[in-house]
Amino acid sequence: MIEKLKTPQGYIPLALLGVLALIPVILPDSQYEESVLIACMLLAIMASGWNLISGLAGYVSLGHTVYLGIGMYTGAIAGKNWEIDPMYLMPLGGLVSAVVAILIGSIVLRARSHAFVIITIAALWTIQLIAQIAKPFTGGADGIVIKPPSWANELGTTPYFYIFFGILCLTILLARFVMNSRLGAGLVAIRNDEGKAASIGINTTVYKVTAYALSAVPFGVAGAVYGQYLSFVNPLGAFNILASVILVLAALVGGRGTLWGPVIGGFIVGFANEFSTVVASGAAARVLVLGLVLVVVVMFLPAGLLPTVREWLKKRREKSTAVNFIDQTSIATATERVDTTAIQSRVIQDRLEGKYLLEVKDVVKTFGGVRAVDGVSLGIERGSITGLIGPNGSGKTTLFNCMTGIYTPDSGVVTLSGRDITTNRVWTRAHKGLGRTFQITRLFKSMTVLDNLVAPLERTSPQEMVAGRYSGEEVARAREILAFMGLQDFEKQEARALSFGQQKLVELAQVLMLRPSIVLLDEPASGINPTLIGKLSNVIRSLNEQGTTFLIVEHNIPLVLSLCSTVHVLAGGQVLTSGTPDEIRNDPLVIEAYLGPDASLEAPVD
Amino acid sequence: MLILQVLVYAVLIGGIYALLASGVTLIFGVLDVVNVAQGAFLVFSAYLTWQVWVVTGWEPLLLIPVMGALMGAIGWAIYRGLLVRVVPQGPGMTVLLMFGVALILEGILNVVFGTTFKSVTPDYFTSSLKFGSVVLPYPQLLSGIIAFLVLVGLWAYLRFSWAGKALRASAQNADGAALVGISAKKAAGYAFALGAAVAGIGGVLLAIMYPIFPATHYEWIARLLGVVVLGGFGSIPGAAIAALLLGTMEAFATTFIPQWAPIFFYGTILLILVFRPQGIMGVKTREDVA
Repeated sequence: MIEKLKTPQGYIPLALLGVLALIPVILPDSQYEESVLIACMLLAIMASGWNLISGLAGYVSLGHTVYLGIGMYTGAIAGKNWEIDPMYLMPLGGLVSAVVAILIGSIVLRARSHAFVIITIAALWTIQLIAQIAKPFTGGADGIVIKPPSWANELGTTPYFYIFFGILCLTILLARFVMNSRLGAGLVAIRNDEGKAASIGINTTVYKVTAYALSAVPFGVAGAVYGQYLSFVNPLGAFNILASVILVLAALVGGRGTLWGPVIGGFIVGFANEFSTVVASGAAARVLVLGLVLVVVVMFLPAGLLPTVREWLKKRREKSTAVNFIDQTSIATATERVDTTAIQSRVIQDRLEGKYLLEVKDVVKTFGGVRAVDGVSLGIERGSITGLIGPNGSGKTTLFNCMTGIYTPDSGVVTLSGRDITTNRVWTRAHKGLGRTFQITRLFKSMTVLDNLVAPLERTSPQEMVAGRYSGEEVARAREILAFMGLQDFEKQEARALSFGQQKLVELAQVLMLRPSIVLLDEPASGINPTLIGKLSNVIRSLNEQGTTFLIVEHNIPLVLSLCSTVHVLAGGQVLTSGTPDEIRNDPLVIEAYLGPDASLEAPVD
Repeated sequence: MLILQVLVYAVLIGGIYALLASGVTLIFGVLDVVNVAQGAFLVFSAYLTWQVWVVTGWEPLLLIPVMGALMGAIGWAIYRGLLVRVVPQGPGMTVLLMFGVALILEGILNVVFGTTFKSVTPDYFTSSLKFGSVVLPYPQLLSGIIAFLVLVGLWAYLRFSWAGKALRASAQNADGAALVGISAKKAAGYAFALGAAVAGIGGVLLAIMYPIFPATHYEWIARLLGVVVLGGFGSIPGAAIAALLLGTMEAFATTFIPQWAPIFFYGTILLILVFRPQGIMGVKTREDVA
């Protein structure tokens, strides 16, 4: 985003804003033009605010005007009681909206996708109904009449114009700040894959609620002054579902998730709205026009104008530059010895309590009537590479999910370094030093390899959230880790362009950014070629030498037996046996339970 | 006897809600799309019924098969023409698309019929059946019975016919269904048409029961979402139970605290989606995600 401003195109929106600021000077006594532009600016403000939660984090809210309404009522009610002009209560409007958004957000953000969309609509209707019923405070369905400010006759709408202009500028600055911060990076990660984001230490709840609250602030601020501008506030006007849809349309037209898209969209839709009201002469046909525009945009311009234009420009530029093909063997052979501080695990700071780093005791997890894990107790020794094997349906994955926090066991305890983590959320476990990879890699596919690596967070704190996306030592560490894994040439590639095996390596690199004391690998060798399996084994061994503990769930028995010092065998949800690779290899019980009576475990490696 | 009267009325209205909501829940089950245009389909069909009735004076209830077929065809066209291309973009976009469709239908009604209330008043409109002190107006009684019959028919159709089994298979696992020869796209188009047809039938019932107005589709979709959410997305028996529950609550609220009547639907949506997203009859599917 900062780089964008350095290019000449980056100044176009700023220049347009400058022109906008001069319009009342160029065209004095133009009440109508000003009122249209005020409507556009309000739409741009709302679309930009909405963009923070719905564009960045992908949680589509269809009831966001609820916060405009709250700002309007805050201004009207407080202004009446304290006998001041509501427009001076703009900060209060923003504050009340933010507080309500935190309250609502911490509940509704538990729901996802469809459920979230419906909840936001239902919340809007509920608050509208409350405003109608709570007559002593809100004036009921008639609403509240707001006195115009003392200067209204002299100055007309021009002061309003500049107030909305100011709010618009502040909103753009807020959006820019969020997008360049680690909060913004985390929100994009949540949009890409929320479960994965949690597993690399992003406290998704705090991130979503923060974004939701921030998105409500511009609405609340604008609402307080908008009420006075309209000179009245009533439930149907303040909490309007159609207005909610129009602002979403604005953000959609311009481009969700971009800085300027919602602003541009606000002006386009604002003008179109005014045009259709004038041409169609009345609100009745306006609904028809809006519906048509909405359908056309969703069908043909789902990404929005700005991203579509950018993509087109990028394609034109890229025609000249060929894409580098990176030979896979270069990864396999690269074993640069880099500064190991970058990949140092946190084992040093851990309290060295007990023999086991990660331990499960009497863990039970049932699905319906199936006891998938039926009283498992086992420990992973500090500094070991431990294997967890077992036939399909033996409960490996369920146990793994209980360790990583995707499931909470029905009973039993999970401890990390002697501390109980049974009910810890996924990101808390990541903060405590437990990292994991996925059987089917879950990188953020539209982000570059480097962006994927700087996304993990070792802790949740306000400082961390406001820190710049690429500031601090993360980028340097990410590069060191990539070099260690032989992936340095891939830094700028989008994750989706990588082969599956390469993605597995990148995912491991991503987990290492958390400085984990233990890494849980979910079938690391499945679906990748022998060369990369060899590479992966080397990486695991050398990380282990530097202190990282590993737990590997794997079907490639030869790999497990060659890599691990201890192997646990699960069958039927219980621990069948545990021992060294040699003991496991020769245990007739294992061979029979796992591979059937006639098999042996002497299959060739890879 | 007021309570008994309200209760009987609640059962009749609950049957109608159940029928209307079954369309939404069927579409969600198979397509994973929340059809927020269902209320608009309903009101659209009611207006067409009104228009035919005004012109011909025919018995409106005879239009049920016609409106069912017509809205089914419109629904199929909307699916094949618009929705099928937007489904891959996820739930947010499909909701927006269907919202756009709802606005278009509302806009057409606004322009063609104007923004005034219309009523279909066949000669039995004001007469009623009396059991002791319980009064059953014919429009409500007939609509309730028809809604119940259509709902049972729909349920039996989905349960026992091959097409119904194919739809349910596609709802549970579209890829798996495709492997055994059920085209997901065809199943989805069929489900959407069926859901819209239910709205077409509902529109006729609506027309003889209430005055109609274009923007009332918001009230209807709010009610239907409340029912579907409480019953569990995708479950027709769930929708039926939820419709009776909410219909009863609404009927009592309308009688005793009319201002608060809609809160049951909104409140249900909020509470259920937050604390039990699978509803009362829905199945919580296992997801390997955090």
